[in-house]
Amino acid sequence: MQITGMLHGNRLLKYVGFPTTEVLGPAASEDEIRDLIDRHGLIFIKPLFKGGVGKKGKAGLIGKATDLETALAEKERLYFVEHRHGNTVAKANGVSFEAGVPAEHEVYFSITDDTRYRAPTITLTHRGGVDIEELPKSDIATVPFEALTGLKAFVVANALSDLKAPKEVISPLVQQLPKLWELAHNYGMTMLELNPIRMRPGPGGRLTPVACDFKCEFDRDDPRVARLDLPGHLFASDVSAFEQEVNQLRTHQGQSDVFVINERGTILAPTFGGGANSLVTEVLGDSAIISSDFGGNPPYEKMKSVAAICYRHFLKQANVLFIIGGKSNNTDIYETFRGMGDALREHFSEHGPTPLFVVVGRGGPNLVRGMGSLAETCDALGLPYRFFGFDSAISEVVAYAKRVDAWMSTGGRAQVAGRLGLDSAA
Amino acid sequence: MNRKGLDGLPYYLGVRSLGDMATKDDRVAVLNIMGGESRQVTPVSHAFSGGNIAFGTSPGRSGQQLKTPCGNIPVYNDVREGIDAGHRFNTGVVYLPPAGVRDGVAELIRVNPDVNKIIIITEKVAVHDAREVRAIAQANSVDIIGGNCLGVADSWNRVRIGGALGGDKPDESLLKGSIAIFSNSGGFTTTIALYLATEGWGTTTLISSGKDVYIHYSARDFAHAFANDERSKAAVLYIEPGGYYEQNLDFRKPVVACVVGRWKTKLTRAVGHAGAMAGTGDRAEDKERWFMEAFGVDGLFTPDNPRVSRKGAVVTNIADIPAALSAVMKLNDIASDFETRGSLSLKAWIANDQGLDLPDDLALAPVTAPDPYAEQITSLGSQIGAAVPRQTMKDRSGASVMDATTQVTSVHGHSVLNLALEPMEAVFALPLVQQIATENDGVMLDVAVAAEVNLVGDPVLVATDAAREAGNAPNTIMSAAVSIIGPNRVERAMSCARILIDRFAYSGLSDARDEEFDLSAIEIDDAVKAHFRASEEDADDPRADAMLKAIHERGGRSVFLRFIESLGVPLSRDAVLAAISTTIAWAPLMQKRISRLTAETLPWYLRLYGVMIGSVIPSEHHEHGALCGIPRKERFGTWTVADLAFLALTGKKPSQAEARPFQVLIGLLISNGPGAISAQGAKGAVAADGPQTPDRVQINKAMAGFLTHTGFAHGGNGFEGIAFLLDQFRDTGLTDPTDPNHDIDLKSMARDFARAYLQAKRKAKASGQDGPGALPGIHHPVFKGKPVNYDPRERFIAEDMETRGEYNIFHAFYCELAQALFDVGASPSVFCVNVDAVIAALLLALLWKDYNEGRLSDSDLEAAAFTLFLFSRMIGAAAEIDDHLNRGRNMDTRTPASACQFVS
Repeated sequence: MQITGMLHGNRLLKYVGFPTTEVLGPAASEDEIRDLIDRHGLIFIKPLFKGGVGKKGKAGLIGKATDLETALAEKERLYFVEHRHGNTVAKANGVSFEAGVPAEHEVYFSITDDTRYRAPTITLTHRGGVDIEELPKSDIATVPFEALTGLKAFVVANALSDLKAPKEVISPLVQQLPKLWELAHNYGMTMLELNPIRMRPGPGGRLTPVACDFKCEFDRDDPRVARLDLPGHLFASDVSAFEQEVNQLRTHQGQSDVFVINERGTILAPTFGGGANSLVTEVLGDSAIISSDFGGNPPYEKMKSVAAICYRHFLKQANVLFIIGGKSNNTDIYETFRGMGDALREHFSEHGPTPLFVVVGRGGPNLVRGMGSLAETCDALGLPYRFFGFDSAISEVVAYAKRVDAWMSTGGRAQVAGRLGLDSAA
Repeated sequence: MNRKGLDGLPYYLGVRSLGDMATKDDRVAVLNIMGGESRQVTPVSHAFSGGNIAFGTSPGRSGQQLKTPCGNIPVYNDVREGIDAGHRFNTGVVYLPPAGVRDGVAELIRVNPDVNKIIIITEKVAVHDAREVRAIAQANSVDIIGGNCLGVADSWNRVRIGGALGGDKPDESLLKGSIAIFSNSGGFTTTIALYLATEGWGTTTLISSGKDVYIHYSARDFAHAFANDERSKAAVLYIEPGGYYEQNLDFRKPVVACVVGRWKTKLTRAVGHAGAMAGTGDRAEDKERWFMEAFGVDGLFTPDNPRVSRKGAVVTNIADIPAALSAVMKLNDIASDFETRGSLSLKAWIANDQGLDLPDDLALAPVTAPDPYAEQITSLGSQIGAAVPRQTMKDRSGASVMDATTQVTSVHGHSVLNLALEPMEAVFALPLVQQIATENDGVMLDVAVAAEVNLVGDPVLVATDAAREAGNAPNTIMSAAVSIIGPNRVERAMSCARILIDRFAYSGLSDARDEEFDLSAIEIDDAVKAHFRASEEDADDPRADAMLKAIHERGGRSVFLRFIESLGVPLSRDAVLAAISTTIAWAPLMQKRISRLTAETLPWYLRLYGVMIGSVIPSEHHEHGALCGIPRKERFGTWTVADLAFLALTGKKPSQAEARPFQVLIGLLISNGPGAISAQGAKGAVAADGPQTPDRVQINKAMAGFLTHTGFAHGGNGFEGIAFLLDQFRDTGLTDPTDPNHDIDLKSMARDFARAYLQAKRKAKASGQDGPGALPGIHHPVFKGKPVNYDPRERFIAEDMETRGEYNIFHAFYCELAQALFDVGASPSVFCVNVDAVIAALLLALLWKDYNEGRLSDSDLEAAAFTLFLFSRMIGAAAEIDDHLNRGRNMDTRTPASACQFVS
């Protein structure tokens, strides 16, 4: 859950009164754009991406204009531009027009939680406007502070003094930067980064820090995010329709954390436990359709609902239903297996049978009862299965599921389809 | 308070040695002790630890107690109340929901100055709160473990605090030894302990750290305590990507680090473990490197390439941990703690290839599981039928559910719309055997019911005659009949079914139609023969032989019939009924889809079905050897259940054209889910008898419960639509409602009615009087609000009729009327024609000819509509009765007094 760019950043910063550059959205009229240019001389045209997309400047995706004609040409170029950053390809939908801010100094500032200190920590340099990684360490101050006291002016002042920052930037930054803690801490952010903050000279030469770019990440487990009343579409690209549906069931009682790894995968693996999730994700690789953690002892109804959604979206393409976890400490195997089994039975009733091999690796309370219940379901549906207990290495069970998947892909699926009385294995 | 922490650390850390992490002296308070997870976990922890929990809190539950095997734990509203009651504790455990965790930590620290350790089990704690928890704890010198963890355990001290390390059987995995475990994964903490045992290593202290962004008790903290713990000769760490907790650690003793999550680096979001997201420099690869540098090894340990040093080894697969540890310990000349236990090789416990030809590496034969699991698996194999856990079934059903969006009810996964397309004999047993009957089962059911409908000489007829003469509605007449079919009337049939199940359960029979099945292995003795033999009283009953003959002639196949015929004794009707019911129930019973109880009680339902249909036919039509003039041989030999029901309703066998709409009507009305009054009546009757002692539940009384919970408003109201249509068509000269070539102008009829209706509405409004009521069959509270509205159930049937080229003038009129009402301004949109209209239209079309020719009166039509509803709904009621009998608890449908209201 990330937001980048000033279009929304502008609004969020205003909650705490932090000065920002003037921004127009994609719907700005030509008159409004001309007026923005007239007043500021220079404007930047930036494509709007959903979620977190970095390195736009380096990719040549930030347009500049001092006249309307150029501004409109840049708008046309960038409106639907595609941006590849690492493995991720993002497509813009709109542009923002942001007033240029004349300044001699550019500042980088971020707040995040640093695990080295186990405390909220600011990173600050008066040599901002570039990638922070490119600067020598001596130019960067990384300062943890106490969460209950919060980010106080003296923390900023000390950091700037240590950096030997120019005198004229210290006072305005000491005055303004602590506001950003209020924004980050009280609205459920896990990271807030402004780069650059441009130090705009005002009357009398006093500088005002003006946020010219914005990036933040929200904590999906923090209800404070809702205080911002952000439109849902901002995060829509974060999740597929499947994830949206299944994550509606996300509560602390039974995690049902799920996301899609490969929409064309062939192993549907409800995984129990964060550890098992890591291992299974690792070993299955691209064969896995989803990455999931259904641990936390989900009740029967929830397990059944989550499984039903998974089946509805992915069972048809799956060769293997692979239910996997270590020896559970608390999750009731009978309740969870019964939920998944009943959902499978109902799915077959509603959508007809589909060729499937069921592999299980599990341990925990009511294990045999749970396995028995699932075996009954598989028998009733005519599905082949192998259930392994906790005394088989979980990695071996994962490897077995992969071998089953390979066999299914090379003729096994047709055999199972024949057993189910289906004309085709598709 | 500001206790002094350990020297040499830039932050507070209180636990000096792992031996101090979970001790016999620790006394624990559990916040939200009565929460779902704690209720399961805390009693096991308390018992395992010898009773270390002083008390728990749960606001509003003060005075309650949490039962545990080693004494009850008192519950208070809050911590202060617990302390005021004289309890003392040094360790807090937090099971609160995420939003309450921070406040819970504050409460523990502020209220109790003695607290020095807090374990947070809760997952999904906001980072905001975790920050503040860390700050509060540091300021007050308290060690926090977690959150999103499973707590800590000590195999030497036999203590576990917080979560469920070791699950419900801690003794299986918390084996005393020399290895400390620190794991980001709670589940794997236990799993690693189990894996270590395969190489002979036991454990000292186990710590589940959690993997949130804030790991309050981190690997660095663990390293200190591990170094100071003399019992721990080595440690295993299970580490995921994200965070710098493991950088530059000095363990001073051998360590095996399992670092997972290389592939996860490609992902954009963490699952389950919120902190398992790497930024730059804290990926899995980075962490592998940190440990490799610390151990002085130049690569990962794998079984093929075992790279180790005396300091340790790094693995990426938890299955390699035991071997890596043994290799490291060998270099240190440290022997294992005990003999190796088992292995981690693949061992299938339960398997079924379903007859497929699997390659050798997949076709792993099941092996015997360790005890006590092997015994459980064996008993699983010997258990006959499904075992369904009991629960409160008030307003709940495991048999039927209505989709609130489509208003379509499903019974055992089959929607009533689809059931409407199946013949009645195919759905007759569905509520009990949970599947559509095969052709063979259909034959069995037809004959079974045909043998029960003729009630000549049975007191049932006296009762129904008396009830009918007293002016009762069809449901009450039927109730009188079923009341007589009590337990003694089915005891023998049920006991025959029981014997058949006993004799065949372990015979290997999977298909009850198997003509080749060898009966010679089935044990027969005189007692068995006596059960199936016709008694003196029914020696003259010709129906048993007639049933057998009819089934043979109709091509029915049954191992059980073959078996009882092989006994060489004259068979009773109960014996044949039991063989039939066991044939139908066998496959779902063996597949554990239904319970043994259901299979054993099936004869009762079949007898009730027959009697309920028969009770509708006046007594004068019941004769020895014939019903309504239809000879027994013909009835048994060719008639279906649907034919018999139609006969009861109309006095004749349906034509082909009549059979189809009749079938549709039966299917549509089967169930409206557990909330329907009829279902509630059936469920209440079961609950009142007490399903937990199922032998005492009177299924016939439950059927009466359903029947008495129908009436002129529920079931009898099907006539409203018919009455409305009669008013419209009485004088039209209509002769055949299914002929599309009629000369009635439906458009004009509909328009005229709509105008008159609108006028009446306006007039009523102007005069302030009640206007014309809602029209039966038009509009629905759910399917509304669009310019043109449809009831999907009506559409389903209408489209099926269209596909088959069938026509119904009454339905066509309803469609015209919905449009006309809108056209003249009587409705704001085109209302839907609802499913009740379809029912009225189909039923009236079936009865129109007899009505038109004066053989049926208006009241006959009303009775017919009600009876049809009862025939259909008895199938749905059977589903609820059987479900409640199998799942429910005694008296579970009652409403607590607190939820009841007095109205004056």
